[in-house]
Parts: sequence; structure tokens; C-alpha cells
Amino acid sequence: MSEQGCSRKPELSQDGELKAVQFRPKRAVSSLDAEQRSQAGFNTMDDSVNNLCANEFAPTKISYGHVYWRFLVNSYDERVWRWRALIFILLAVLGLTVLLCATIGPARIGFGEVLTMLLRRLPWAGSLIPRGDWPDNYETIVLQMRLSRVILAALVGAGLAASGVVLQGLLLNPMADPYILGISQGAALGATAAMLSGISMQVLGIYAVPLVAFAAGLGTSIMVYNLARVGHKVQMSTLLLAGIAVGLFLSAITSYAMITSGQNVHQILFWMIGGFAGRGWDHVKVLLPYIFIGYTLMHLSARKLNVILLGEEPAQHLGIDVEKMKKVLLVAATLTTASAVAVSGVIAFVGLIVPHAVRLMVGPDHRVLLPTAALTGAIFLTMADALARVAAAPEEIPVGIITALCGGPFFIYLLRKKNDPGF
Amino acid sequence: MSVILRIEDIECSYGAVKVLRGLTFSIESGSFTGIIGPNGSGKSTLLKSLSRVLKPAKGAVLLNEENLYNLDTREVAKKMAVVPQETAVNFSFTVKDVVIMGRSPHLGRFQSEGKKDFEAARLAMELTGTGHLADRLITAVSGGERQRVIIAKALAQEPKIILLDEPTSHLDINHQIEILSLLKSLNRENNLTIIAVFHDLNLAAQYCDRLILMKSGLVFTMGDPAEVLTADNIKQVYGASVLIRKHPVTGQPSIILLAQDAQAAVKKSRVHVICGGGAGAAVLGLLAGHGYEVSAGVLNSGDIDWETANFLGIQLAEEIPFLPISERSHNENIKLINEAAACILANIPFGRGNLKNLEAVSLALEQSKPVLIIEETDIEERDFTGGKAASLYNGLKEKGAVVLREKILVLDWLQDSLSNTR
Repeated sequence: MSEQGCSRKPELSQDGELKAVQFRPKRAVSSLDAEQRSQAGFNTMDDSVNNLCANEFAPTKISYGHVYWRFLVNSYDERVWRWRALIFILLAVLGLTVLLCATIGPARIGFGEVLTMLLRRLPWAGSLIPRGDWPDNYETIVLQMRLSRVILAALVGAGLAASGVVLQGLLLNPMADPYILGISQGAALGATAAMLSGISMQVLGIYAVPLVAFAAGLGTSIMVYNLARVGHKVQMSTLLLAGIAVGLFLSAITSYAMITSGQNVHQILFWMIGGFAGRGWDHVKVLLPYIFIGYTLMHLSARKLNVILLGEEPAQHLGIDVEKMKKVLLVAATLTTASAVAVSGVIAFVGLIVPHAVRLMVGPDHRVLLPTAALTGAIFLTMADALARVAAAPEEIPVGIITALCGGPFFIYLLRKKNDPGF
Repeated sequence: MSVILRIEDIECSYGAVKVLRGLTFSIESGSFTGIIGPNGSGKSTLLKSLSRVLKPAKGAVLLNEENLYNLDTREVAKKMAVVPQETAVNFSFTVKDVVIMGRSPHLGRFQSEGKKDFEAARLAMELTGTGHLADRLITAVSGGERQRVIIAKALAQEPKIILLDEPTSHLDINHQIEILSLLKSLNRENNLTIIAVFHDLNLAAQYCDRLILMKSGLVFTMGDPAEVLTADNIKQVYGASVLIRKHPVTGQPSIILLAQDAQAAVKKSRVHVICGGGAGAAVLGLLAGHGYEVSAGVLNSGDIDWETANFLGIQLAEEIPFLPISERSHNENIKLINEAAACILANIPFGRGNLKNLEAVSLALEQSKPVLIIEETDIEERDFTGGKAASLYNGLKEKGAVVLREKILVLDWLQDSLSNTR
């Protein structure tokens, strides 16, 4: 506060190293105030110390201040290191999970073999590693089929979890999830239309369904956004309601289309529950830039998103352009979610549960919440997909069923465990 | 002192409703300004337009002679902090997390908090006495503590101006005093400019050095508290009758509300009350509040009943402090009794000095005026004349004075006896 003329003790800021004795008791709340407060019956422990030992013992109070100041800085430094350690651990776990899940499938390929195959692909050192004695097609199975699918699941999980975190924060609503703006229902309608019409198939080939789903999801969220917009401002509660209303309307159309068409219902249903069957590197390539851009935008806004949790007006008073923030974050979350839906269908619960669970563990600070939730989402969905492949083998069940089966009870457990209403 | 905030003829509306209808004033650097006015007079709207939330449809708000709405949000936040009426927090940040958010306007997009920011947060927490809460969750502290934390956050912004919207209206009286004293000391010692909306006129008078009284979107009047808070201004703006009195300690105006009856508007008969030493204050207030014209006697100046009578603007027979009732004041008392329709004797103690009061009452009885004696304690307990007062007092009862044990029944008795005489 020194240069701003707000300082009462300029000697403090000049002297970098603070010493207990230097805190001369020229407190703002002086002895007069202490009297007033004691008259008013105000009696925190802090104050009673003040009152008891009026002036002679004032250094007691002062060294107390000193202690918490050291604590404040240390704990912040410490916390940043804890955050980094946590993110590092989760990255390692994710790496292991990806490798482990690549071993799962009808062909028995071990962990060591998968690791060796991958290491051989390294640009420089790769050629130095001897090839194991596995059949030729094993390399194709792991690198072309399994690994692409596992990585796709990880990306989708990360994208959905990060979007969930951002939307819950932005809407100040713990029930918000990535599909809150009607993206899922829009994309589902788009996908249904693409599958039923077949005309688009001829023009766009195998990308028809993802492309139309992406466009429809994006279009729906833009429509919802504009419904909630009055002038330059977007009311978050209106956004929530508009999302629900538009979503219901669109899913009614989808249901009607499915019932009347009679064909392809199984295929549509499979897509609407969400899964990774038959997805490969092409889908990863399509998804990666969206997830990357979306996540980067969210991560750069993490500190400001913390402030928005205080409420829109208070955030504005702290110098944050709230309307701009909303736009940036909604665009980021929408791009991420719509692209995820386009490649894998509507996978429920990941974007709702992972943010909640992670928030319980690391707290509400988005600077750590966002990366840890993204990594946890990736790990969770990778594992869920592995389970989807083996649970009813040789049949494959949509991963959305697994996430909902795990997610529902877990969510109830969280609600029961944590009794206070907020988040 | 220089002008830090200049408000030039601003108009604001919500939809078709014009809430502010052209306000002009300026705020000097280092002042403590209170904005007062009845509900719906536009206080909070004014604060919104000063804090860059609601852009005025017309007119300008100038911060250091620059248009507030042309400045960058962050630039404004470095100079101006806002403390809302209540901050709802339902997420588990710790107190220090919240305070350090006050540093937000000083940080760039890619920057995170550094040593300077922690220093500012620490100082703000020390000033507000919230240091010991640093690691508590913001959801787990009391309302008063939370408001102090929010003020700490505002201070961490290192602002020149703090705007507050009824900062203490949800708090207990001890926290109100504590927070306002804190603000006052920040204002005095750190030259912080403070603009606060107040609901409570007494608090406003106590802490502000300037008041702006608003009425339906306009400035009704402004100036120092003694100029603004007059019974007349309050009658015109709030439509309420009040008594204005000098606060015995601070010398600032202090407002006392008068209980009012619907019938009070109709002037009723004159009633004389014989009292003193505080025994009659409640009766005087009761009668005045119900529209009776009241007189009182004989009162020593400076006595509590005398003060009350003066507030109420009651005509009275008075005597120099600590002197017995003189012939002059006795006659004055009798004159007032003669003019009154009824006479009431309050539950006062009797000594040699005020025996004449009893004589005056017996004169009233002789003129067959209705006389009421309020007897909350027996006469023997308050007779300090060795039986003289008691015999006179009992004589009054024999002559037909009505005795009531509770003063609340005074109104009923008055209604009965006065309607009988007519």
C-alpha cells in the first residue's frame, strides 16, 4: 500500500525482512476502539488478548501477525509445489493407464511388449531397441487400433471434465455439465439426421456423422446463448433455463425421427449413449486441436474464473471484464464439448462427476482444479472404455453405460458425504 | 482537498422507470460521505453508477476528471473498491484466498501473485483484524467476520475510494460499530475516500462528515450531518416525525423516533403532568404521541423529565437546578393546571423541595378537575418529609383523585374522564 498513500507503516514495506519488534502497535484499531469493542461485548480471542494487555504487551499481538504473514507466504509457495506434484503424479498415472489399457483386448499382448513397441517408435533411440518376437499384426493392433482408441478416450475425458469445471464455475451451479447449453441434444439430432438421410453420407463420406453432429451441437449452443442474451449481457440463470428448454425440444424431434424411421435405431442409440468403437487416429487428429485450444483458453482464465465465483458484480469491481470472460469461456467449453460429442457421442456423467470429485480433493481454486480435473477425466474415461471392451466380451457395450453406472452411485455418495449445499 | 469523483447531472433508468433524475455533486478526496434517503430514492442505483456497473443514460461520472466509463475496468478497480451489502459465498475458498483476490486488478493475464501482493493482503488483513481467520474457510466464518474479510479484500486492492452499500445492515450492533470505526480510522489515517449508503440515519450522522440526502432520484439536500439531519428535512423526505437531539458524546445529531397514533393528527385537550426525576417521561411521551397537548411542572432544569419535555416541545413550569420550588414557579404551575382539562400526578418521590406540587394538585381537585394519581410504589416508600407528604397525598385521594397502579391505563382514564366533563 506504500506508494498509494494508503500506508500507515511505510517502514514495513521498505524493510523486506519483517521482524516482530518492528511492528509497533500503531494499529488501526487503536486502544480507543478496543474499548469500544469491549463495551459492545465483542470478544474474539484476538481481542481479549488486546484488551488484557493494553500497551505493554502489544508486541504479543504483533509477533502473532508476523507468524501468520510468514505462514501466508510459505503456505502459498508450498501449495504451488503441492499442485505441481499432484499434476505430475496424475500425468504419470495417466501414462500408465494408457499403456495398461492398450494391453487389453482379445489378442494377448503384454505390458512390456506394448512399452517396447512404443519405445521403438521414438525418433532417435527407437532404432536401438531390439524388436520382440511378436507376430507382425500385433504392432498394427496396438499402434493402429488400440492406442488410438485409448488416446481418444483420454482426450474426450479431459475435454469433458475441463468443460464441466468451467461451466459449473461460470453458472455458479453445481449441477451444470458440459451439455448444459443443449450441445448433446443438438449433436444427437444432427447425428440422427445424418444417419437417417444417407444423402450427406455420399457427400461427406465417413465423416458425415461427426461433422453434422459438431455443427448441430455448436449451432444449438449459439442459439441458446443468444436466447439468454439481452443487449451485451448474458444472464447465467436464463442461459441455464434456455439450455434445458431447447434441449428438450430437440430431443423430442430426435425421438420422433427415430421412432418413425424404424431403421438404424440401434446405430443411433449406440451413438447417443456414447462410445469409442471403431474410432482411430483420424478422429484423434480431428479432436486434438479443439481440445488443445479449448483447454488453453480455459487454463489462461483460471485465476479470473476464481474471482467470478465471488459473483459477477464483485468480479467486475475487481477489474474483470465479466462479459468478455463469459464469452471466451463459453466458446472454449462449447468447442471442446461439441468436438468430443462429434467423435464419441454423448458420454454422460464424466463432465459432472469428475469436477465434483476433484474439487472435493483439491479445493475450488481453478488453477489447480482445471488441470487435475482434466487429467482425472482422462484417466477415468480411459479405464471406463477398457471396462466397456472387456465387460461383455466379445460384445462391446457403449462406454456411456459404464460411466453412468459408476457415476450415479458415486455422485450420490458424494452428496451424502458432503452435507453442505454449495461446492 | 481535491475533488476525486465528480458526478455531473446523471440520469439512470431501469426500463421505463427513471430512477436517477439528474444528480450533480462532487466528492472530495479523503472525505467520508454518506448517502441517505428512503427506500426507492435511488441510493443503490447511484452507487451502481458510481462503481461502473450501471452506465448513466445521461451525464457523466468523472474519476480524477476522467470519464469513468471510458476507463478500462482494471484501471478503475485499481482506484476504486466496492463492498456490497452482503456477499454470498458458497464455495470453499479460505479467507486468505478471498483477500488475495483483491490483488486481481494489479495482476496481468499470465501473472500470478508475488511478494508485493502477499504484503498488501497481509496488511489488509492486519488492518481489519482478520489475520487469525486466514486459514478458515470463508463459508465457516460469521457474518461480521465475513464482512470484515470482504473489506480486507477491498483494501488489498489498494484503492483510493471505497464504495459501500449499507455495509453493516445485516450485522449486530457491535459489529456495526466495529466495522464503521475501522472505516473511519482508515479514512482519517490513510486518507481513504469513503462513500457509503446508509439505512440507519444515526450511524450515518455518527461516522460521516458529509451527507447526501436523496429523495425520488434527486439530491434533496447535502452538507454536514447537522445541516442535513433536521426534523424538517426528515419530515419532508421520509414523512416521519422525529426528534433531533445532540449526541451527548460526539455532538452529532441523533435521531429519536416518535411513536405515532393514527388519531394523533387530531388535537386533543390539554393535560398537565406533575412529575420530575424521570418518573414522568414515559407518560409525557405517551400523551404527546397520542395527540394530547401536554404541559408539565414543576421541573428542575436539566432533570430527565425536563429534557424529555423540552424534546417534545411541552410547555412547562421550571425551576433552577437543585432549588426547592419557589413561589414564582409554583404560581406558574398553578396557572398551567388551570388551563389544563385534567391533571396527572406521576409516581414521584417527595422531599421538602417539592411539597408544593401536592398543594397544586389539591387546588386542581378543588376546581373539580379530573385528577389521576399514578401510584406504582406506595407513598410511604417515597415520602422523605417525615409523613407530611403522605398526609397531603392521602388527602388528595380522599378528595376524589383516581388512583391507577399502571401508567399504561392513563389513556383510557383520560378518554373516560374527559368525555364525562364535556
